[in-house]
Amino acid sequence: MTADRRPQRGLGAGAGLKPEHYRDILEGRPGVDWFEVHAENYMGAGNGAGGPPHVFLERIRARYPLAVHGVGLSIGSADGLAPGHLARLAAVVARYQPLLVSEHLAWSTHAGVFLNDLLPLPYTDATLALVVRHVDQVQTALGRSILIENPSTYFRFETEQMTETAFLRELARRSGCGLLLDVNNVFVSAVNHGFDPLDYLADFPLESVGEIHLAGHAAIEMAGGEALLIDTHDRPVADPVWELFQALVARIGPRPTLIEWDAEIPTWPQLADEVERAARLLQEAREWTYRSSVLSHAVGEEGTRCAATGR
Amino acid sequence: MTVRSTHLALAAAVAAASLMSAGAGAQTANADKEKCFGIAMAGKNDCAATGNNSCAGQTKADYDAKAWKYVAKGTCASMEVTLKDGMKRKGTLMPM
Amino acid sequence: MREPPEANDLRAWQSVFAASLLRAGAIMPDRQAVHRNNTRASLSSALAARFPVVRRLVGPDFFRAMALCFIERQPPRSPVLAEYGAGFAHFLDGFAPAREVAYLADVARLEWARHLAFHAEEAAALSIERLTAVAPDRLEQVRLGLHPAASVVASAWPVVSIWTTNAHDQEVRPLGDGAGSECALVTRPELHVLVSALPAGSDRLVAALAEGNGLAEAVARAATVEGFDTATALSVLFRSGAVASLSVGSFHSMELS
Repeated sequence: MTADRRPQRGLGAGAGLKPEHYRDILEGRPGVDWFEVHAENYMGAGNGAGGPPHVFLERIRARYPLAVHGVGLSIGSADGLAPGHLARLAAVVARYQPLLVSEHLAWSTHAGVFLNDLLPLPYTDATLALVVRHVDQVQTALGRSILIENPSTYFRFETEQMTETAFLRELARRSGCGLLLDVNNVFVSAVNHGFDPLDYLADFPLESVGEIHLAGHAAIEMAGGEALLIDTHDRPVADPVWELFQALVARIGPRPTLIEWDAEIPTWPQLADEVERAARLLQEAREWTYRSSVLSHAVGEEGTRCAATGR
Repeated sequence: MTVRSTHLALAAAVAAASLMSAGAGAQTANADKEKCFGIAMAGKNDCAATGNNSCAGQTKADYDAKAWKYVAKGTCASMEVTLKDGMKRKGTLMPM
Repeated sequence: MREPPEANDLRAWQSVFAASLLRAGAIMPDRQAVHRNNTRASLSSALAARFPVVRRLVGPDFFRAMALCFIERQPPRSPVLAEYGAGFAHFLDGFAPAREVAYLADVARLEWARHLAFHAEEAAALSIERLTAVAPDRLEQVRLGLHPAASVVASAWPVVSIWTTNAHDQEVRPLGDGAGSECALVTRPELHVLVSALPAGSDRLVAALAEGNGLAEAVARAATVEGFDTATALSVLFRSGAVASLSVGSFHSMELS
């Protein structure tokens, strides 16, 4: 049952909002805690920013909390941010008043050409300075802090001066942004580069995590027979990714968690099952952290009493 | 046409247009037929955050007229389109 | 915004990498080629979704190859993918391998018009009763304001019939003798985008109205085209929701829903 499971505080488990599900959501009023949209899908086309996307999003926004996830700002562009696009992002944020706003640690535009992919960045001091400056610019334009997401990567740079986790920690510290921890991206990169995803999580600045993403990935075989994982968002979340998620929230407690399913869109009930699974794990984590806090509180009181009586 | 006859012609046309439109709520029926292209008009920024698993090694096509090897295998081949001038056009595409 | 000099290496690399993503023949290591595949496949999928009838006409393989040529020549200039494809119809005009399907570019124009209509601003459409309520002697001075979603695609080909059978029918209908040029009206009075056929010459009528001319002047410009019929044109325009405002002389009214 999804109806009984409301979060005690903040956002629980949500789903990426797809036009294919507008009607299911408005007619069925599912017990999903929140929805996330890609900012660029609500920026219109040509001169218009109306039509069914906005009609439906307004209605869904009236019933559910919303998060806005940018996929086209190209925060890692050495060219600088496109001011026009930043203004359009600000307009979407102003119109829909989302609880969370996020973007990617990646670049996607060069010399005005949009490449429609999240491209990797070398983790160097120069890149860090650039990204900090851009995040600052975005936060100033939006008048709020944003979350930056760790990427799925397929190759590494020889010139790197720090790890991804160190880069993200410094980025959060210097810019004041939060982090969106995509657990599937951690797993994809771990397999692709041969590191232990638990080590990555141990090094990650978990105190900055404001949102979690979960999604499906695909495996392809490359020329030499080597397997490579691709962040496809076109299928259910893989079991090892669920395990990592469970380990993560057991450690840091529940965080707003989103199921992303952007291609080969499933029926609404299929997607709702994935959200429900995330919700159950969040609930377990919530109970666990609640028990731990009660326990530590009781121990604390006991200690105080002992101290008082033992005087 | 005199000024007077323009008046009359326009008034008659508007009256006729009004009659043609009577009872014509037909447009929404037209919309319901749009099964394939309903409200979820696609081609959005949904692929941006994602790879496309069908993509690996499949995007090698280049436009070089001499090397163009694709033959249109869609409906154009079976849909004979006749112009008013009587010239028939059948959209068969031959490789160049 | 200018970046400090340390960013120069990054800029140089991004420049090289961006170019290799778009170029078909670029040699890249497999792991980097993942991104080229992502870029090219996702953009060609976006075009396929935007131009489904063009795709059906030529078939998926031909379409994808054609789309990749377009992507290489005219990559997106905006991160908003919904804005990609404005130049596709013009590209098809000059695309030699598709020359035999002479109507392909006009079908693409119609599909692009549908796409823009989908994203147009909202407005209430007027019913024809607003026009019939005008005194006959004042009809000539009536000015009709077009709905933001309304546009016209005039073609030397039966573009409405081609679009309709490919959009709705399991198997395409033969377009028999006498299927000549067609003038398509694209509208979106509410949630659904509609495609209707207007009489020949209606593109002139609509263009004249859009320039702010009175009804008499607009009709006169269209009437020079053989086959134009004022009553049919007005009936289709109102019935499809193409008219959003009507004014006579100094009087101006907007229908409020």
